[in-house]
Amino acid sequence: MRQPEFEAISPEELELLQLERLQSTLTRAYRQVKFYRRRLDEAGLTPESVQALADVARLPLTTREDLSEHYPYGLFAVPLKDIVRIISSPGTTDRPLVVGYANQDVKLWLELLARLYTAAGVTSEDIVQLVIPPGLANWRRDLMAGAEYLGASVIPAATLNFAKELMVMRDYKTSVLVTTPPLARHLISVMDRMGLTPAELSLRKALLVAAPLPFAVRREIEDTLRVDIATAYGITEVMGPGLAYGCAASQGFHFSADHFYPEIIDPATGAVLPPGEEGELVITTLSTVAFPLLRFRSGDKTALNQDPCSCGRTLPRLTGILGRVDAICSVGGIKVHPDHLRALLREALGGHLPRHSWRVVEEEGLEVLEVNLALEEALFSDEVKALEGLCQRVRRHLQDHLGLASHINLKEGLEEEKR
Amino acid sequence: MLKIRNLYAYYGSVTALSGVTCHIKEGEIVALIGANGAGKTTLLNAICGLVRKKGEVTFLDREVSRVPAERLVGLGISQVPEGRQLFAPMTVRENLELGAYLRHGRQAKADIADDLERVFHLFPKLKERQGQLAGTMSGGEQQMLAIGRALMARPKLLLLDEPSLGLAPLVVENILATISRLKAEGMTILLVEQNARAALKVAARAYVLETGRIILSGSARDLLADRNVTRAYLGRDYKEFTEGR
Repeated sequence: MRQPEFEAISPEELELLQLERLQSTLTRAYRQVKFYRRRLDEAGLTPESVQALADVARLPLTTREDLSEHYPYGLFAVPLKDIVRIISSPGTTDRPLVVGYANQDVKLWLELLARLYTAAGVTSEDIVQLVIPPGLANWRRDLMAGAEYLGASVIPAATLNFAKELMVMRDYKTSVLVTTPPLARHLISVMDRMGLTPAELSLRKALLVAAPLPFAVRREIEDTLRVDIATAYGITEVMGPGLAYGCAASQGFHFSADHFYPEIIDPATGAVLPPGEEGELVITTLSTVAFPLLRFRSGDKTALNQDPCSCGRTLPRLTGILGRVDAICSVGGIKVHPDHLRALLREALGGHLPRHSWRVVEEEGLEVLEVNLALEEALFSDEVKALEGLCQRVRRHLQDHLGLASHINLKEGLEEEKR
Repeated sequence: MLKIRNLYAYYGSVTALSGVTCHIKEGEIVALIGANGAGKTTLLNAICGLVRKKGEVTFLDREVSRVPAERLVGLGISQVPEGRQLFAPMTVRENLELGAYLRHGRQAKADIADDLERVFHLFPKLKERQGQLAGTMSGGEQQMLAIGRALMARPKLLLLDEPSLGLAPLVVENILATISRLKAEGMTILLVEQNARAALKVAARAYVLETGRIILSGSARDLLADRNVTRAYLGRDYKEFTEGR
């Protein structure tokens, strides 16, 4: 355990720590962020209204739309000169969501990443190789920095082809592979093609992030690569992967509840649900300085498990990510909001969006977005070359803006799919 | 050791603390920092029962918010007030003996003698000057005497209010070294300081108070790197920075 004094804290101590951090976060948010002050005032609340953790439920919820509306710096709680990092994640529109870090936030972020790696059984002796696509730039940066902070030898994510990645993995004697579940499966298929066997590699662990890991896929990767698998959960708006992490007991994700307060709500009514019930994860930051978030709706569906874990950690667990409560879909871990996708398609097609549908398809383990566009009069051309150019333009636009691979098909008589 | 929840404190109709929650673990030095008037001394006084208050104070698992000040000393909480508050016309030794005023009887007398030796060991200067009138000593010596007097009550928790106030830098270093020594001996200390830099040098953790509320908390090392703390330490309200942006 990296920080047993917090990861194995007694429930009573945790409750007091959460309350004092929550009260100071609320005070800072109220005094320094106009949006939160207005929200609390409208609800007839002040920071003093929260006298116990249960009072959190009285605070208004914050959504990705709220973040978008205050683009870029409207929700920062410190002056810009105190901000040392500004990161973006895709929002529901073409405006990204902007998160700021102050000095101490960067320290906290590193410490949380070190917790994650330690819980995964990674040590400073390991050679850690990251195989993460450019579309997951935030995960790339976070997991690289965390492994370096831990003192491991790190092979950063490159844009090599997969055969080269595997050559590096074999020759550099990588012991820990950090990647996404779809990419792990793809690597297995490339290994197969190359005739490379797990016995030729020095891998002992795989940390699989950014996308859900169904049990069958986990088993398949574990058995084929002959590695122990570790997982983590995080969202860019709330400090990324260190938010919650798996342990050797493999029972869900331990939630860093000393720095973030979790709630599970009914996404339709907003009511707080008791432990064990499935609903939407809502997060309140307790320690971040630059970018406090009060009751932020993650959009991820999970449940909270307060039972003690055999690994010795007392931090509550998320039972696993069971899907989304909103329309956002994941393509190999890259989150895509339908409104954003439609806006990008419209842009690429010169302002006109025909009937369309899309789905995520799998190719050798990789997830690819397949978009079908109705071949309407406005798009029609009798030149095959022009039609091919159109598809290519859309494909490149999606690659540029979302960092993901796609297939664009033009179809006659396409019925629009409601999503 | 000490747990405080939703503590409010009042001076007449003025609310000086509005819902403070914090804690101190056994053997820790925790600093309270903030600008003048932020409520630091009020928090110490509220713990000691010297101001009107509302809220929950638990000391060694016992609810003490209604325990009167004089009985708190017996439970193990001693305060070294700002400005020392010594009995100037009395000698150093008499001042120290007054710190043990709760103890009577033959056994107590022997214990008090032991405690005096312990204080003299900690502050050899006080031994040399035990016959001198407290009021004639220098500021640094008076501060040592004030701490020594509090230790004579055999506290489990020591509340130190602005021990560096009005002292020369070299003397401040000396006082800080004493505080560190007390910690090494297992003492739990809540330290109020306007001199944030000095406080964060000896404390493991700190809370930053601003107009009666805690606005930040964390390890001393992290807070030292915090630009807001530098501003709080300078006594300037942080609002002017955010609103000017």
